[in-house]
Amino acid sequence: MRLIAKIVALTSLLLLTLPSVFYLAGRVSLDTVKWLMILATVVWFVSASYWMWPRAEISTDRQ
Amino acid sequence: MVVEERHHGQPPAEYEREPVPAKARLGLKEFVGMYAGEHCAGTELMIGPLFVAAGVSAFDLVMGLIVGNALAVLSWIFLCAPIATRARLTLYYQLEKVCGRKLVTLYNLANGTMFCFLAGAMITVSATAVGVWFDFKMPGLNDLYPNSFGWVVAALVVGALISIVAAYGYKMLADFANIAAPWMVLVFLVFGFVGLRQFVDAAGTEMNSLGDLWHLATTQIWKGGEPLAGQVKFTFWHVMFFAWFCNMAMHIGMSDLSVFRYAKKSWYGVASAAGMYVGHFMAWISASILYAYQLHLDPADTDVLPGPLAFRAAGLTGLLCVIIAGWTTANPTIYRAGLAFQAIMPKVSRFKVTLATGLIATIAGMFPAIAMKLLGFVALYGLILMPMGAVIFVDFWLIKKFGLQSNYAQLSGKTFNLAAALAWFVTLGTAWALVKFAGVQIFFVSLPGWFVAAIIYIAVSKIYQRKVHSA
Repeated sequence: MRLIAKIVALTSLLLLTLPSVFYLAGRVSLDTVKWLMILATVVWFVSASYWMWPRAEISTDRQ
Repeated sequence: MVVEERHHGQPPAEYEREPVPAKARLGLKEFVGMYAGEHCAGTELMIGPLFVAAGVSAFDLVMGLIVGNALAVLSWIFLCAPIATRARLTLYYQLEKVCGRKLVTLYNLANGTMFCFLAGAMITVSATAVGVWFDFKMPGLNDLYPNSFGWVVAALVVGALISIVAAYGYKMLADFANIAAPWMVLVFLVFGFVGLRQFVDAAGTEMNSLGDLWHLATTQIWKGGEPLAGQVKFTFWHVMFFAWFCNMAMHIGMSDLSVFRYAKKSWYGVASAAGMYVGHFMAWISASILYAYQLHLDPADTDVLPGPLAFRAAGLTGLLCVIIAGWTTANPTIYRAGLAFQAIMPKVSRFKVTLATGLIATIAGMFPAIAMKLLGFVALYGLILMPMGAVIFVDFWLIKKFGLQSNYAQLSGKTFNLAAALAWFVTLGTAWALVKFAGVQIFFVSLPGWFVAAIIYIAVSKIYQRKVHSA
């Protein structure tokens, strides 16, 4: 299940970024980019939460 | 930036007063991930635009960032990490051994105060996103005081929420910050792509090659020339020194001894490049493109407001990015400021201290002066903490060559090492005099300041250690 969540999460990051590349190339509208980004954002936070939470961490005590 | 870092997890209760053992040491990957996430924060959305407001040219910006960030990485590799992986102690324990407990208390006070104001700037950034929804009057580039009731309420609500979460659920939000970091980095990248296209369309040009991109950058985005009213003109040297020193407290100031004490090898300092070239290169450039586009559309619209900038480029996702970037970085900053203050008042509960610290940060966040003058504030932040880094460097590598004792406070039982204190105060006094009377800008005083601190520490130690020995 965690592997599926990881795959979905990483795919959502592609969905977050690629539309803006197409926009830069003049292939899609900015509105489309914005809609796909919010969709990708929802998918990322749901799937990445399942995949990454809680994660090993560096604790640094910098204060 | 700087400045603006995110912390991964609650500071541990272990290894606070002992070297990190071999079993607890970590690989390079952990440090790369940590630095990449930490240095892509809400304040990047202020710094990038402020470069544009400072009239920076494309060459000065790009080359200044490449060189300055490289110098920052080298500072981590050659100044901070070698001491961290040999002593394997937190900054605070190392400082206590050198400077004594009372002087460390003073350092904590300075550190906590700076963290409070930094968190205030992060609250300011997040509050600008609220303004997009509620449409109240927001501060302008040269505003020092809150300029509308709506702004005060927004900063108060955002600051109160961040402070309460920092006091109650620091760990949970730190975990959330880990999850948000990769998403946030990519949203910053999207800001850059979208901003570029908007420029291409607005300027009516084409972009089919790197040459076209550079032409657009030099003629439309970072045109150079005079800065906006009330701003300091930024050249290559300003950008280079700013990029090098904006995290000065961490590398030359040795705050990241606490991080790299966990590193298996000292060359893991190279991991800081992930933070520098993601957060302090890509993110700054992306954010600056958004602001340059705003000025291109309306040269009179000089307000640096991350919320509206991000919303224009990426809609709701952009706004979420501003809120989350501000929140996830303000949260650990308030928490750490609280820890610094609590070290001074150990009998007061961490909960109360964190809440009180959050209140101070919230009040600071209502005043846009810190965020709008962030370039200068970040330089000041590094400068104030830097001399203690010079003291640690000299104490670790050089002082025995002069026939003196290292870790003198520990050896002598002193709680206030006068040599270290004078190195700190006289360096700051010298820097202040250079800025005030010699007209040297604050971005340039830290480099000579390091040498001043090092020389004073050695010179006063020569007298002080002998005097104490003979007493």
